[in-house]
Amino acid sequence: MTIHNLYIFSRNGTLLYYSEWNRLNKSGITMEEEAKLMYGMLFSIKSFVSKISPLDPKEGFLYYKTSKYTLHYLETPSGLKFVLNTDNGAQNIRGLLQQLYSQVYLEYVVKNPLCQLNEPIQSELFKQKVDALIKHSQYF
Amino acid sequence: MTSITISAIRPRTSILDKSLSKGKGEVSLSCYALLFSELVQYCQNRVYTVPELQNKLAEMGTEVGHRITDLLIVREKSGKREIKLLNALLFIKSTLWKCLFGREADKLEHANDDERTYYIIEKEALVNKFVSVPKDKGSLNCASFVAGIVEAVLCDFGFPAKVTAHWHKGTTYMVKFDDAVVARDKQLEDR
Amino acid sequence: MIVLSSTWRDSKRHLFKFSQEMSRAGSRLDSKKVNSELFTLTYGALVAQLLKDYENIDDVNKQLERMGYNMGIRLIEDFLARTGSGRCYDFRDTAEKIQTGFKIFLGITPTITNWSTAGDEFSLCFESNPLTEFVELPDHCLNLKYCNILTGVLRGACEMVQMEVASWFVQDQLKNDSVTELRVKFIKRLEDAIPAGED
Repeated sequence: MTIHNLYIFSRNGTLLYYSEWNRLNKSGITMEEEAKLMYGMLFSIKSFVSKISPLDPKEGFLYYKTSKYTLHYLETPSGLKFVLNTDNGAQNIRGLLQQLYSQVYLEYVVKNPLCQLNEPIQSELFKQKVDALIKHSQYF
Repeated sequence: MTSITISAIRPRTSILDKSLSKGKGEVSLSCYALLFSELVQYCQNRVYTVPELQNKLAEMGTEVGHRITDLLIVREKSGKREIKLLNALLFIKSTLWKCLFGREADKLEHANDDERTYYIIEKEALVNKFVSVPKDKGSLNCASFVAGIVEAVLCDFGFPAKVTAHWHKGTTYMVKFDDAVVARDKQLEDR
Repeated sequence: MIVLSSTWRDSKRHLFKFSQEMSRAGSRLDSKKVNSELFTLTYGALVAQLLKDYENIDDVNKQLERMGYNMGIRLIEDFLARTGSGRCYDFRDTAEKIQTGFKIFLGITPTITNWSTAGDEFSLCFESNPLTEFVELPDHCLNLKYCNILTGVLRGACEMVQMEVASWFVQDQLKNDSVTELRVKFIKRLEDAIPAGED
């Protein structure tokens, strides 16, 4: 199994963090454009999902799958968005996304008074902890 | 006859009527960490340099220290204070630390080359747990706040000292007593 | 700043070595908890400092609210991560979550009372409150809203979950009321940010 890359967006769409591990094909556009496209797609898919839903959608959009990869999505009630692309072998990866939120983002961004919440995350410690969590996960 | 008003509030029960808390209450660490972080940022906005910031933090720690002295002396020592220097330091290392941080400080050491100087060492200071110091403020140690607390407690005990916090083995608090304190303690020992 | 030379390090002798067992026996607090007295006194030192720094007590109230806001926008993440709770279903749900928040973070459970008929306002009543444990207000501070940091925390935390609320104290034990009552009002729902270029 493989984890390709990770995006974290703030509630108003700023790309807070990006990291990649096994990403062979690049999108061919700048990171900024890619982030904008990604956020726009998530926004549309979310609103479509809730519009079309026959019942109260609750958590709404969770993931999509192509023949080559799966995009997993976690949005916290505070609007933080975690996006993780993996190969199709890795299913049910929600727990890992939760861990990214509660064990890494919370501890090393929220509790660090020097990290602003709406700006790209610069903390080295955060970077290391994300990397460690992903590399040690069973999906990597 | 008109009565003389001393206080605008006439308390139904004064704070002194309540029994002193046992000190077992707890709040969450994140809550404290965020409060402390606001305190640090507030101080930071009012000073220009790292030493100034540390002084300001120590000053606020002093406020906490004076009050905790009263509290601990009444609650733990039935109104008596330590009169021996060593006992005062041990009181800080164990009783004060346990009250504030839930455990004793890791070590208490005496500098061999200066009899006035002692070190209280703590591997992971609570107030530094979530702070990662940016490179331009290399020497900043927010435990100056705790140093302020310790200094106030020692002074209230009658052992005037200067206490500063440093990055060494985690955090080391350097306690430098006034000469008179050491001299007096010696006299006590001789008797 | 002290520079610790190796000679300094070698020359000092260990005065007291407490065994591992002893220091372990000395620890009674959960590592995620802090003694509430440290919290009380630290908050007190902060308020006292603000009173020294600002001439106007209203400015102190405002500053406390601002600090609370900064704490609230971060505390909410901790709350969400711990409780795994989702969006609130209605404002009653919100009230209960706020109550839980007080339990988690301050170890107290305020009672929820005095709902407005429209269901958009309620009160939180505090019997005790770690912020005010050793506090008596001096006469020149009668306008001080000692616990105003709480109103900021609520505003910040709710804003992060798309809710605008206002809150204010209607009773205060420090001003000789029998309870401290914090009134909370729902203002409006905040909408998700729309990405650039979309309608």
